[in-house]
Formats: sequence, structure tokens, C-alpha cells
Amino acid sequence: MTMQRTPPTAAMCERSPLPATAGIGLRFPHHRVVSETQPKIGWLEVHSENYMGGGTSLAYLDAIRTHYPISLHGVGLSLGSHGRLDALHLNRVKQLVDRVQPALISEHLSWSVVDGTYLADLLPLPMTEEALEIVCRHVDDFQATLGRRILIENPSSYLRYRHSTIPEWEFIAAVSARTGCGILCDVNNVYVSARNHDWDASVYLDALPANAIGEIHLAGHNVKELPNGRTIRIDDHGSRVTQDVWQLYDAALKRFGPVPTLIEWDTNIPALDVLLDEAAVAARALERSKENIHADAA
Amino acid sequence: MPTLLDVQRAIGAFMAHGDLAAAEFVIADGIAPDSRLSIYRNTYAGNLVGALRISYPAVKRLVGEDFFEGAARDFIDAHPPQSAYLNDYGSQFGDFLAHFPPAASLAYLADVARLEWAVNCALHAEDAPPLDPARLAVLPVDVDLKFVAHPSVRLFQTQYPADAIWRATIDENDDALTAIDLDEGPLFIIVSRDVHGISVTRMSPDEFRFAKAIFAGIALSRALAAVDCDMSPSLAAHFTAGRFTGVHLEPSNTQEGTGL
Repeated sequence: MTMQRTPPTAAMCERSPLPATAGIGLRFPHHRVVSETQPKIGWLEVHSENYMGGGTSLAYLDAIRTHYPISLHGVGLSLGSHGRLDALHLNRVKQLVDRVQPALISEHLSWSVVDGTYLADLLPLPMTEEALEIVCRHVDDFQATLGRRILIENPSSYLRYRHSTIPEWEFIAAVSARTGCGILCDVNNVYVSARNHDWDASVYLDALPANAIGEIHLAGHNVKELPNGRTIRIDDHGSRVTQDVWQLYDAALKRFGPVPTLIEWDTNIPALDVLLDEAAVAARALERSKENIHADAA
Repeated sequence: MPTLLDVQRAIGAFMAHGDLAAAEFVIADGIAPDSRLSIYRNTYAGNLVGALRISYPAVKRLVGEDFFEGAARDFIDAHPPQSAYLNDYGSQFGDFLAHFPPAASLAYLADVARLEWAVNCALHAEDAPPLDPARLAVLPVDVDLKFVAHPSVRLFQTQYPADAIWRATIDENDDALTAIDLDEGPLFIIVSRDVHGISVTRMSPDEFRFAKAIFAGIALSRALAAVDCDMSPSLAAHFTAGRFTGVHLEPSNTQEGTGL
């Protein structure tokens, strides 16, 4: 696959409906403090599946969304499953979108459902023409149902299939090209998968179409030692972003221009200040990236 | 070349019962394919045990973390989730515990689990504004009423005092727990949610029979005819707790009704 490298421009800041600033993933333990103190942060992202139905969580989100742009990040639609999308789940997502009016909507390049059973994890797809067609059909259906564009996120993975024929970076670029969807580039996932599978992370970033990148994710991961002496990196969202990932993030900003960037933290969730602190690091990198564009343009 | 469905079914079988057929699709690269697959299986089980832990906090405290995790893993094997909406996962856990041999000595555990499921459903039920009782002040004469239940309302009967055990366990109140008389049942309980939170309330057998009828949409006159005592206080309590969201007026001698 040939790569067209487009130099980033200031205009690219406008390709996402979110401001090109740092945001954080909003989780239950921080509902109250965010609602009451309204910390200075550009935007918030929530997992769609946590706000279906009614009750307290949705009431918090209704209140919080009057102060911040919201991104809805789904984990359960299973865009990579054989067969049709779960109509009931799709309808729940649609209802939530109608209610929350999010700036962005995203899902994962993965699968979680087979024969009606939900496997409660983001499972890797074989990178084949068949899977590519199925994912594109589901992205088309999802976008048609919502009447708007979505983003798909590159996964972290711990295995590859023997019969895969398409590099993952070409696969996700192809989904974007065929369906018109945007890409949520999870820089930590690029790093984790590249280290686990001995890929070149810069090749991965270079293959993604810069003008399709609508959001970046950053998170911490865990290095697991196996009995045979090998290590594998597990994307557990349970710690600060590592130095290697911050460096790759700088490379991503150089490649894509300033893109709204999220700090995710899902296990051992710390005090809100820790998340805001991590977001401030991303915010400074975004500011540097904007200054570089202006310096290049001058 | 295996199809996508071949791969997904094989991995589904690995997740469900460790069937190793999926390993043949996976590149080893220094780590055994089943070890790679097990990373996903651990996350799958961990996420579902986590979902059950959130829905069943009192059961977890009553049996301890290790026992709970063991029971939850057996439950997950028997009842894998059918939806990605995990707030809906675990409805059969109470029935499962009722027939779970290691829990046989805790006869009340299944009742506590059923109560926690009702509380969980009430917590996540759809929002709906409560019916304003003032709207009943201007009713025409000769109409019958059919109430619409708030989506959070749950009614059930327990053999053991599940509400008292649940409350004392959540509050970590050991004195209250030891004071409970396990033989005071059977009990009749209504669970619902309003703006103030969840309420778990005991009712008399008559109140329960009346509530069963009106929350099932049976006309008020018929519901009243089925009980012997005055249900006005009970009806008022349902209003106060926001357990109705609407009412249909039904002329006494016709099938037609109008929404209010």
C-alpha cells in the first residue's frame, strides 16, 4: 500500500467536532466531583454502555453535559461479528445518542459477539478480505442508523491469526476509505500491539490517513512476565502513560497535527487530580504541536 | 482458509469451556496459542465477575470474596451473557444460588440475591416522571382507573427476611444481622426508585395482592374487590413513592379508555 504523507495544517484542527485539547474518560467514581467542581478540562468521554436505561448515572451525565462537550465511546456493538448488528443494542446506542447529542461517537475495530453470546472483551479480528467487508457493512449500518459519522478505534492485541493477509494499519485505513468513517487512533494500543507483535509503530502511524484522525487515546498499560521469560504488554488502563507512549504521541501529533486527546483510566481508578495531571501533559504537547504548525506556516 | 464465523465460534467455545480448537488459528511466536487466548478468557471472566460484584454487593459480603468469585465463575459458565448491556446481566443468579450445593447451608442467600436483582433493576430502570395526584382531583364520575407502573417497580415474595439481611449487610451492621429472626417470613416486598433513591418496603399480604393487581394494569375497582380492607393508605403510599407514571380512564361499561 502506498502512503501519501500530507503535512498537517492548522485547518486540520477543525476536522473534529471536539476542540483539539485534552479530555478525560469520565468514570463512576468521579461523577460527583466533576459535577460539583467542574474542573478545567476540554471535554469528557464516557462508555455508552454505562448510560443505557435510566437512573443516577444518566442524571449525572445530563447535568455534566451542559458544561462539557461529550464523546460517546461504545464497547459492545461488535462491529466485527459475523451476521447482523444486534438491533436491540444498536437501538439503545441510538437512544443515548439522541439524548446526549455527543460531539463524537466511536466504537472498536474488534468483535465481542458470536451466536448471540456476548464475550465481554474486545477480541481481535482476522485481517482478511472477508472480515474487512463485514466490518465495512456494519460501519455503514451504524452510520446510517445514526445519520452521522463515527470513529473506529485501533485495538490492542495479544494474538495474530495464521490466515491474516492484510496488515492491521492497512485494514483500518481501508475501513475509513470505504465507509467514510473517521479513525480514533489509540497511541497506547499502537505501542502495545507493536511491541507484542514486533511491528514498527512508525509504519503503523504513517499508514493512517491523517485527515481521518478525529481523536487520540492515551492510557497506561501493564508489562506481564510469562513463565518462559517472554513478556507481553496488557492494555489494562490502570496506570500513567509510559514515557515510550508519550514519545509515540509526539510522533503522532507531528504526523496528524493537533487532535483532541483523551486520557483513559479504567482499573485502579485514581483521584481525579491524577487524571487532570496526565491530561495537562497531553495539553502541553498539543500546544507545542499547534505552535509548530504556526512556525511552519510563517 | 477458515471463515470469520469459524474463528468466532472456535473462540466462543474456548471462552465457554476452554475448547482448544481455536489454538490452531493462532500464531505462537514464542508464546503458546492457548496462553494468548487465555488472556482474553481472563478478561471475559474478570469483566463478568466484576459486573456481578456490582449487582450483588450483599451476597458478596455474606459469602466472602473467594466464595463469591467461585460461584460467579460457575454461574458465568452456565449463563453466559446474551447482551452487551451488562447492567442486565445476572438476572438468574438468585435461582442459580438456590441450587448451588456449596451454598446449601445459607438457605436465605437466594432470597437476598433476588432482592438485590430487584434493586439493580430499579436502579437502572428507564426514567419516567411520576403521576401528579392532583390530576385525579378533576376526574369525571363513573370512570374506572387503570394505573401505569413506574418502570422501576418490582414486587416479590420471599421466604426469609431478605430485606433486613440485605440492609444489615450493606450497612455492615453485625448487631442488626445477628438480631434477625430467620423464621419471620414469608414476606411481601415492593422495590421502586424515585428522585430520592431506591425504596425497599414490606407490605401486608392484602397490600401485596392489591399492588400485584394495580401494577399489572388491572382496573382499580377490580383490584379493590379482591381485598377485604381499606386500601386508601396503600394507594396514597404508592403515589408518594412515585410508583405510577400515568393513569387511563375507563368508562365503567365500555372498553374504551383515555390517557390522562
